[in-house]
Amino acid sequence: MPEPPVNGAYMIAAYVVAAVILLSYFGSLVRRAGKVRSEK
Amino acid sequence: MTAVGSPPSLDRARAVIRRGTALSLVALLGIAGVYVVALAFTPIEAHQGLAQKIFYIHVPAAWSALLAFSLVGIASVLYLWLEDPRLDLFAASSAEVGVAFSAVMLTTGPIWAKPIWGTWWTWDARLTLTLFLFFLFVGYLSLRTAVHDRHERARFSAVVGIMGMLLVPFVHLSVYLFRTLHPQPIVLKPSAPSLPWEMLRTLLLSVLMFTLLYLGLLTMRYGLGLAAEAREQRDA
Repeated sequence: MPEPPVNGAYMIAAYVVAAVILLSYFGSLVRRAGKVRSEK
Repeated sequence: MTAVGSPPSLDRARAVIRRGTALSLVALLGIAGVYVVALAFTPIEAHQGLAQKIFYIHVPAAWSALLAFSLVGIASVLYLWLEDPRLDLFAASSAEVGVAFSAVMLTTGPIWAKPIWGTWWTWDARLTLTLFLFFLFVGYLSLRTAVHDRHERARFSAVVGIMGMLLVPFVHLSVYLFRTLHPQPIVLKPSAPSLPWEMLRTLLLSVLMFTLLYLGLLTMRYGLGLAAEAREQRDA
């Protein structure tokens, strides 16, 4: 069995980028929801 | 859901937003769990190494994006038929969430491609069609902000939404229809999935959590749309 290539940095980068995009979008919806909550 | 024709109330919108927020939080926790399972409890693929684990977020993001865009198309067809404004709001919400998932798909894909293909991007059929689909739905969202009459906005964007939906099967089948570098499907294909169980389990868990997140974000965005409608009708 050959040794797997060493490319963990790409994996970490992809996981971080995905988390940043999804949390940013969720955060933007939460901010907009906050405005609706405080509306009279 | 409110009855057809009756104006949505702000309280109703707030309740929908609360449900969406709760569902999204559960899904985000589930995705955090998927990260742990993928990184610590799923074997490393022998030829691609750790970069193969990008697959556990790239594929579910692609699935959620294509699901979102397909539902935009279905809701758009139904809108043109029934002219129920809730269908237009659903389509707009699903398009926005789909664009977010597409952004994940279109960024994680090149990060995987660099170590495996030796290049960040190549203009092959799957990648190019996926990028066009993303641009089409960014255009869909721009169109919605440009047209102020709500009936015209709903009709014009329904047509664009249907065009987008028609691209979805081409995106999925592009790896069979054209000569492409992109890997062929290993789960959604006529024969059984060609993936060891430990990897398939992680992928299915991730698909489940991403689908839940799609539903959560969609519900939140739908609730925000209801709130905007309630505000418009109050101020009119």
